[in-house]
Formats: sequence, structure tokens, C-alpha cells
Amino acid sequence: MRTRVLLVAVAALMLVPVSVWAHHAFAAEFDATKPVKLRGTVAKMEWINPHAWIHMDVKSDDGKVTRWMVEAAAPNAMLRRGFNQDSLPVGTEILVDGFRAKDGANRANGSSITYPDGKKLFIGSSGTGAPVEQ
Amino acid sequence: MKHRFLLSAMLVGIAALSMLAAPIAAQQRPANSNASTWTPPKTPWGDPDLQGIYTSDDYISNVPFARAAQYGTRLYLTDEEVAAQQARVQTAAQNALQEFANPNANVGTGPPGHWGERARNAPRQTSLLMEPEDGQLPAMTAEGQARDAAARRGRQGAGTALPADSWEGYTYYIRCITRGIAGSVLPVIYGNGTEIVQGPGYVMILQEMVHEARVIPIDSRPHVGSNIKTYMGDSRGRWEGNTLVIETTNLLGERTGIGGNGGGVTFSDAAKITERLTRTSGDTISYSMRVEDPKNFTAPFTFGFPIKQEPGYQNFEYACHEGNNGMMNQLSAARAQEKADAEAAKQK
Repeated sequence: MRTRVLLVAVAALMLVPVSVWAHHAFAAEFDATKPVKLRGTVAKMEWINPHAWIHMDVKSDDGKVTRWMVEAAAPNAMLRRGFNQDSLPVGTEILVDGFRAKDGANRANGSSITYPDGKKLFIGSSGTGAPVEQ
Repeated sequence: MKHRFLLSAMLVGIAALSMLAAPIAAQQRPANSNASTWTPPKTPWGDPDLQGIYTSDDYISNVPFARAAQYGTRLYLTDEEVAAQQARVQTAAQNALQEFANPNANVGTGPPGHWGERARNAPRQTSLLMEPEDGQLPAMTAEGQARDAAARRGRQGAGTALPADSWEGYTYYIRCITRGIAGSVLPVIYGNGTEIVQGPGYVMILQEMVHEARVIPIDSRPHVGSNIKTYMGDSRGRWEGNTLVIETTNLLGERTGIGGNGGGVTFSDAAKITERLTRTSGDTISYSMRVEDPKNFTAPFTFGFPIKQEPGYQNFEYACHEGNNGMMNQLSAARAQEKADAEAAKQK
């Protein structure tokens, strides 16, 4: 995969305020106090504007499978950074770090995805007013 | 937050100074420009050929709209200042070569600022504003200020956590309707592509984000009637030497503003917009937009920047409304917030 995402080698760079990445404000849609970690497989990838959406099946400890929708950045921005239509094929196992929707639905804003081999990619979209993952 | 520079510029209240502004032509080009010696190609029918796909990425974030006080009336950076900008551009390019995030990266919900689209060349300007000479946005008229405030109060669902009652409480950008004539061209964090296509008698300009295509007749036909007003207005083009001059009127007032994606203080329905596009080298167009709007602003102003062709750069499709899940999600988030607030109030 030729996705280019940044190694955050210099901590200071993270202090640079993130510009308005999102088509909308983070806080209007997602809850900064509800971070989520979703482990599952890609069920469908929607490369749509103004934000791409990952549909994924998340299996809980009791074996129950729940479908989640995860918002990513604008597809054009992701494409320019090396993502393409083959980057997240159905069945891909991923771990998503993000924040849950304010309305409590199984929907989240995604900040990064981690593959089983530990490689981690930024997919984040909403930089406005968003907290930093701890 | 994207409106901040505009608000502060307004507060400066430089109406008097702006009246003294010198003609901007003299300061529109850096000293080392080859614009005076370079001859642009012509289309088969003899018009200057501007066609191609350009981007304003070089001005994404390094150049503010209004000028920092330290530069005074100086529009262009010195060679030393350009070198410093070049170093920043190179550092960002170097960072972008790293393929994966560190597994322990402290990631926010958005990627780091240098993850996205970025300048490839050092910008040379101190501000996007070229006129007035001090690089500050002229003060708004009292009437314009009141109209602007009222219009934008109704669209506060965007950019804040304030819950909106309906989709109409969001900006035209959030609603995927328009970024407006100024908001479409100002550099933003991504999607800064501009495609220009010419045919005999017409120029078409397409902006990637929100994909507005303007088909501009190059003749002296009169503008449409004053009762017809649209988000992008009614444009007429003409050639002045090698420069394409586009005059636009018939704009809907107070819908979009003088800021990226149509944010910022708004212009009125009386605004007259004059854009100038001059190809200054094989890959660069000098672009500027002059806004004359006596109803909302105490003086005219001009902003501008070069747009540039880059190897491999292309415009991508941007159908926005169809996939705008965020609109529905924000409204359901607002209702959930109201319910939670009401329950919290009951328990008190």
C-alpha cells in the first residue's frame, strides 16, 4: 500500500493548531468526552464528499456483531495523500481510534486506523475544537 | 476561527487610510517577475491562452488575508524572508515523506497540520490583501455591519457547537450549496484546484470544492436585469491586453463572505466584483479580485495571489450534497443535546 501518512517524529509539530479540516465543526456532531476504540473489519467503504465513511463490523466480547460508521477526511484530501480505492477493501481488519457521535448512534469520527501489523494511518477529518487522544 | 482575521481587520478601522491608497498596479508584481517579458500562448482563435488546472496551494496557510503590522505597506517579502518561507516549505515536504504514523503518535481527531495539502513553493506576499496599501480590510459601513451580523447570526450552526434548529441554521458551504464568489477562490486547507477552459467567446472557470463552474461570456452584452440575483452573480469578461478581466454583479447579498469557503464578513447585493487573470509564465497566473461594495464597505479592496500548475495536479469530483451525512448527523446531535439539557434541568 502506498499510503503516505506522517510519522510524528517531532512532538512540537503536534502543537501547531490544526486548521479547519472538516466540512463541519467537530463539536456539532461528535462528543469529545466519548473516545472510542473500534476493532473490526471493513464492511463497506464510501469514498463520498464531503467526507469519506468507513462502515465496519465490530465484534464484542460476547460475539455480537455491530455495524459502525466512521467518518474520515474528505476523499479528495485522502486521495492526494495516497489513499486510493484499494486502500480499505472489504474484510480489512482495522482498529479505529475516534470519538462517538453526540446522538449516541453507532457512529464515530475517526482520527486514525491501525492495521494488524501495527502500522497506523491518519484518517482524521474534524480538526476544529477536537481534543487530543490520550 | 477562520473569521478571526477579518474581524480584527475590521476593528482597525482604517477607512481614512484606505482612501489614500495608491493604485495597486505598481505593487502587484515582485521585482523579479518576468511578466513584462514573457509572451503568453494564444488559443487557435487568437485569445490569450489561460487554460489548464491551477492550484493556490502555495498560499494555503502561510500568508494571512490581512497584513501583519510589522510589514506596514509592504506587499512582498524580502529575499531573506522568502528564504525562511522556503525552509518551512521544505520541512513540510520532508515531513510528508514519512509513510506511517508512529504507533504511539498522540493523534487528535484531525491529522497534524502538515498531513494535508501544502505549499510546494515559498509564497512571496505578506498578505492576500493588496489594496488598500496597508493590507487591512476597510471598515464596514454601519448599515453593512448590522446586515452582516443579522445574516450570520442565523447561520451559527457552523463552526460552533451551537445547536441549529434546521439545516437553514448552517452556512451555504456546510449545506453544500455554494462558497460564493470570493470564498470559492481563496486558498483553504484542501481542494484548491481551479480549472480554466476556453472556447471562442467564453471562458469557463471550475473550482474543485463545491464544484461551481462559471461560464463567462467574453463580450459586452449587458448584465441580466437587476431583479435577478444569484450566489455567484452574473459575470462578463473582456481582454485587456493579455489580462482577462471579469466583472460580476447581480450577487445575492449577505449569503457568503470575504473569507475561505465563503466565511467572513459578507458583501451586499450591490457588490461589483472585478477579477483579473494574467498568465505570467508557462505555469502561473496572477489572480486578483477587487470588491467595490459601497453598501457594506467604506472603501474598495483587492486581494490576490498567484495560482500555479503543478505536475500531476488535477481537480477531483466533488459532489457534496448527495453524501453530506454530516448535515443530518449534526441536526440529530443538536436534538440529542437539547434532550440531555432538558433532562439535566429537570433534575435540578
